[in-house]
Amino acid sequence: MSIPPLIDLNAHLGPWPFAPVPERRAAALQKHLAAHGIRRAFVSHLGTVFRTDPMPDNRRLLVDTAATPALLPVPTINPALANWREQLDAGIADPRVHAVKIFPNYHGYRLGGRRAADLARELIRRHLPLLLQVRLVDDRHRYFGLRVKGVPAADVAAFLQRHADLRIVCLGLQRDELQQVAAKVPCVHADLSFAEWLWLLDAPPVPPAQLFFGSHTPLFVTRAIVDKLTRSGAPATTIATIANKNARRFFGL
Amino acid sequence: VRVIDCHTHPVFMRDGFTRAAAARLVAHGRQLGIERMVVLGDVLAYGRNPNRAQMQAINDQTRELCRWHPGYFIGFCYVNPNLGERAVRAEIDRAAAAGLRGVKLEIDCNARDARLRPVMLTAERLGWPVLQHSWDQTNIRQRRYHSDPADTALLARRFPNVRVIMAHLTGCGFRGVLEVKALDNLVVDTSGGQPEAGLIEHAVEHLGAGRVLHGSDLPIRDPACTIGRILGSAISPGAKEQILRDNAHRLLGLP
Repeated sequence: MSIPPLIDLNAHLGPWPFAPVPERRAAALQKHLAAHGIRRAFVSHLGTVFRTDPMPDNRRLLVDTAATPALLPVPTINPALANWREQLDAGIADPRVHAVKIFPNYHGYRLGGRRAADLARELIRRHLPLLLQVRLVDDRHRYFGLRVKGVPAADVAAFLQRHADLRIVCLGLQRDELQQVAAKVPCVHADLSFAEWLWLLDAPPVPPAQLFFGSHTPLFVTRAIVDKLTRSGAPATTIATIANKNARRFFGL
Repeated sequence: VRVIDCHTHPVFMRDGFTRAAAARLVAHGRQLGIERMVVLGDVLAYGRNPNRAQMQAINDQTRELCRWHPGYFIGFCYVNPNLGERAVRAEIDRAAAAGLRGVKLEIDCNARDARLRPVMLTAERLGWPVLQHSWDQTNIRQRRYHSDPADTALLARRFPNVRVIMAHLTGCGFRGVLEVKALDNLVVDTSGGQPEAGLIEHAVEHLGAGRVLHGSDLPIRDPACTIGRILGSAISPGAKEQILRDNAHRLLGLP
């Protein structure tokens, strides 16, 4: 079976402090992803997760990806900081930016708070999609000194309901969480990086038109996530829809 | 690619126990290159501490799956050590008579517990491997009944003549690999958890490729993903072959 070209919504540059995962520069990441059939990837910088101010690593991301057209930079916005509008302005000044990302659990704010709501309204005004990173690791495997869990599914659902006009893709929801969110917000969009079950696409938690490919490279083994979709046994049309068609449509690529 | 999956639950929470479902799984497995699957039983169908009749029902189901596909499924006998010496010895002997070939231990009893002694001695007598569910308890905190890699290491140390399979490499994590490094009678399976990067390489570095077995934990995990994880790791082609098939082939004594 031929593998459709993949558009990856969930890839990262930068260091990860808790495991010996490959830390690639942009050119090496582009080459690595291409070797797995990933033609375009939305890439954020892991440095923005751990540093209070995401702007220096957002700048690094924009510079590093300048010569790698397959990598679409996704600046991180931390709305818990007073300068979040400045972060947003700086990030989206680059025409390659098709979305911004938030890490609520790592940046220590609730999705139900005022600043997350302000950011949501601003993104709606600017017609800019949001990538909501629910988690980076399995809660059970988090580094013992780090008390960061995934964003609760109930909070995700409430945020989606509250900002129904904002185009949001949830990254890192597990299968059961996706089911919980979909029960309240049937139109939820999500990547499949953490969602797993044998023959998941026989009865997916949401219709395939709402699902995206996300490799979670370099924290996950890229080939594993590619094969999870392309060797799932699902119909070729379903695989192609998730592999790239939804992303093309959603982000106007 | 040729694969043996040493950690599967074709029936899970009472779903999948039909001839059609089993046949579909075998066909799908073959498509992925999986030559044989080790069936560990629907071990959580009755909660974490099943009674004797429930334990027997789990194993009867495993036996039936093996009967439907004798050249494909290899059954392991689930036992609950809390049921006592007579019950577990009788159940393992009953399973052996039915053609099952190993022991599966779950989360009913911590691997440190003395109640595992009759299980291990019976496995030793039969020459059976014992697969022990294991998960790092740092963030879970269920150690009263749920085995940490350190507990599984102690089990293997106490019974050096029994081959122990420590299940769930991802759940055991980097620390778990180091806990069992010195134990030649213990291998680790790669089942469970997400395909987190770096762990396969870490296990091969510290244990050697000969002590790592591929397992999926299906249906909770997708074997396409678990196989892809091995194939996509930064280890040698020979190490991948060992992990995906050769080690399990040898451990299970397959022809």
